[in-house]
Amino acid sequence: MSHGFELKAAPGPAVPDNAALAGASGLLNKLNKALLTLSMCALILTALILTYSVVSRYFFNAPTDWQDEASVFMLVGVTFSCAAYVQSYRGHIGIEALAGLLPARVNAARLFFVDLLSMLFCAFFSWKSWTLWHEAYVDGQTTTSTFAPPLWIPYGMMALGMTLLTLQLLLQTAARLSDKPTETAP
Amino acid sequence: TTLKISHQFPGGTLTEGDFRDRLTRMFAAEVEKRSKGALKFAIYPGSSLMKTNAQFSAMRKGALDLSLVPLSYAGGEVPEVNIGLMPGLVTSYEQGYSWKNAEVGKELARILYDKGIVVVSWIWQAGGVASRTKPVVEPEDAKGMKIRGGSREMDLILKAAGAAVVSLPSNEIYAAMQTGAMDAALTSSTSLISFRLEEVSKALTTGRGNAYWFMFEPLMMSRAVFDKLPKDQQATILAVGADMETFALKAAQEDDAQVAAVYQKSGAKVVDLNAATVKRWQAIARTTAWKDYGEKNENCAKLLKLAEKTL
Amino acid sequence: MSELTLGALYGAVTLVVMFSGMPIAFALGVVATGFMYFFMPSSSLDTVTQNVYEEMASITLLSIPLFIMKGAAIGKSPAGRDLYGAIHAWLHKVPGGLGIANVFACALFAAMAGSSPATCSAIGSAGIPEMRKRGYSPGFAAGIIAAGGTLGILLPPSITMILYAVAAEQSLGRLFLAGIGPGVLLVVLFASYAVHRARKEYKLALDIYEKGGEKAASLHDEHFTLAQKVEMLPRVLPFLVLLIGVMVALYGGFATPSETAGLGALLALVLIAIVYRVWRPKDLAPILTSTIKESTMLLMIIGMSLFYSYVMSYLHISQSAASWVVGMHLSKWLLLAVILLMVIVLGFFLPPVSIILMTAPIILPPLKAAGFDLIWFGIVMTVVMEMGLIHPPVGLNIFVIKNIAPDIPLKDVIWGVAPFVVLMFVAVILLCLFPAIATGLPDMMMGAK
Ligand code: NA
Ligand code: NA
Repeated sequence: MSHGFELKAAPGPAVPDNAALAGASGLLNKLNKALLTLSMCALILTALILTYSVVSRYFFNAPTDWQDEASVFMLVGVTFSCAAYVQSYRGHIGIEALAGLLPARVNAARLFFVDLLSMLFCAFFSWKSWTLWHEAYVDGQTTTSTFAPPLWIPYGMMALGMTLLTLQLLLQTAARLSDKPTETAP
Repeated sequence: TTLKISHQFPGGTLTEGDFRDRLTRMFAAEVEKRSKGALKFAIYPGSSLMKTNAQFSAMRKGALDLSLVPLSYAGGEVPEVNIGLMPGLVTSYEQGYSWKNAEVGKELARILYDKGIVVVSWIWQAGGVASRTKPVVEPEDAKGMKIRGGSREMDLILKAAGAAVVSLPSNEIYAAMQTGAMDAALTSSTSLISFRLEEVSKALTTGRGNAYWFMFEPLMMSRAVFDKLPKDQQATILAVGADMETFALKAAQEDDAQVAAVYQKSGAKVVDLNAATVKRWQAIARTTAWKDYGEKNENCAKLLKLAEKTL
Repeated sequence: MSELTLGALYGAVTLVVMFSGMPIAFALGVVATGFMYFFMPSSSLDTVTQNVYEEMASITLLSIPLFIMKGAAIGKSPAGRDLYGAIHAWLHKVPGGLGIANVFACALFAAMAGSSPATCSAIGSAGIPEMRKRGYSPGFAAGIIAAGGTLGILLPPSITMILYAVAAEQSLGRLFLAGIGPGVLLVVLFASYAVHRARKEYKLALDIYEKGGEKAASLHDEHFTLAQKVEMLPRVLPFLVLLIGVMVALYGGFATPSETAGLGALLALVLIAIVYRVWRPKDLAPILTSTIKESTMLLMIIGMSLFYSYVMSYLHISQSAASWVVGMHLSKWLLLAVILLMVIVLGFFLPPVSIILMTAPIILPPLKAAGFDLIWFGIVMTVVMEMGLIHPPVGLNIFVIKNIAPDIPLKDVIWGVAPFVVLMFVAVILLCLFPAIATGLPDMMMGAK
């Protein structure tokens, strides 16, 4: 079936030249794929839950009080657990206006520092997320609703997702250092 | 030092707007005056600094100086504070304000102090029910109606009364009432006005005179920040905070009357509660929300017992 | 350092970091964390993650992925192709017919969703490829969708209007109604421009062809018999079912706005399963993958930009700017002009939600004192903030487009969007000259204020 202009499927994540890095990337890609599949299910499940809450309230006059928070937890989970997957394709959008203007070596340095700084920020964020998770777990914190699910669940997903994102950026930063220079644009 | 006060209510000026915002501004001006400018304040209305739910925790960590917030919002973090919105447990302003110097207030303040919070000003507010169909007065009226209680405790009571309890974020109340996805909502008199629910309501049950829904929304300060201030400034803050309570009481009661006027003007049926009705709601609360709360932990059981003494 | 100097520094550093090419989400986070470290108490660093979580944990915000899924289900399945095929068959004689159809589609979707990026994504995922397939230049196609998407917060329901109504103490019902007139005005302006631009592009393509160049897709002389056209109509049916189903659920009181997002997404999946037999995991995977990619990218940006605005708010930057403007004691219209200019500048960096939260308490009292109707101003401000959604560096709609059609260079997107920014500016001028465009409908339905 020809769609004429259909966008090409995104290419797979770039493979680092260094064998060790390539191996680590391969593992992380597998994990990312697994989380992606899980997230797909979560997305459909969220749509089902919200629909169920409408049906149950309207047709059976039995409103649910957990649908919003269950959905929030699910979608927070989807967002964070797929952040590394999106990064593996470099799908977090930035302004690449300078790419064409800089000499190749300066540009390579720029790309390296961008990855490094992103990685450091995500590492900081992961660290603080784990602290938050620990606090919520130890204190038994919950949300304030009637349903009152424990907060360590979404905090944990945030922490895990950001940690994977940090790892992904670490591998990509390392690959910037070890990859043989090429003339093609990244 | 410039201290930051955060709250979730619409911003106004010293003399106009939501009284909870005005209170923070009056407090700021008075403390600044009495401390001869040593303490200054920046006020962040309408959750313009951080989300409502983040305020309590930020104060505990010392990242936010002061906040005026319904205490029970922190119920997920510190279960004891749910007592600040326990329907039927407070049935008049006099009783609410008596807490400060009663055992229950001292115990609550101690628990909060342990958690890193200093209560600066004790503020109570009554609330009512806006309905797009019939007025919700007696517990039987709630039967079969889709109602948003707004808190775990109120939801438990409404469920026991046979209502279909709806949970949705407060910014969706208006739309849900308009379309009929929800029949009625409970909230404070001031919020009943600022949410403009009169446009989509046919009936209002007020909180003036008799009420079973009282909310404790104190002005609080971070203990970490408070402890760092010199003794005289600490004393000034607490003294001004206490002075504000008179204004809060008067303004809250004015809003209880004002909300009735607003709904009346828009053509809604306005109903007041009588003492017997309040007792009936209280009876349900006792076996549902109070019980649920008392069973949470020892502190909660103790607080509940002390609070019942003030009834 | 004064608050305004600090604000200038904050803006400058943000620009540098963003133009370094760092992904927007991380750039916002890096700048905010850096300023937090240097200018805020160290305990603030402990609250970063909770603040981000609290901002993101709102069902209103998180309905965005579901709206995106609904759009992707149509856009990435044969449903979108069939829909556009049918529209093309009926409208191909009208210059810019498909462009007009896309503007209308955006408006209809805007009436179901409360956010602009979701609108943009839902219509764009099918709309952009289809327009390009039929010869529209990439920039033009991107511009139509980016601009059409901004209707998301102007036509009710709208997240930003809810926040504004509370901050300005105005009637939300009135505000919602007031958005409809200007929404229709923008639809007309966008559609007229689409006709004009399509004519121009057609002539250009014809010129190239006549000079022996390539024959563009827009030049293919197509003819559809009435029978063919009628035969195509049923293909629009699933889309209509979806549209009407969701509208009925929302306005008939069956579902809350966030539930509508879930309901609509599920309905879309069910429809493509029944009509196009797209239901196997293998068929659904591309739809879900693109949904996740886009919504993760978008929500990370939104989450971080709310963190970014927390730091900005803590440092009192927007508030000082607003106070400074107010303190100039300008004449009525100059005050309005300067305030709108400030909203535009803030729109460089912040999404509409943050702009309202930070500036409304300061700018609204003087505007009211100057005699402006705050319902009217709410609409004008919304249109101006919509412009911010389609101009860089932080233009959420532009990022959505970049994601739908990564092969269109950012430069083309921006140039394609520029005329629409001008049209929105024209709309603002018209609103100033004829306030009744906004206030007429609420006055008629609810009585004059
Ligand atoms: Na909308
Ligand atoms: Na912008």
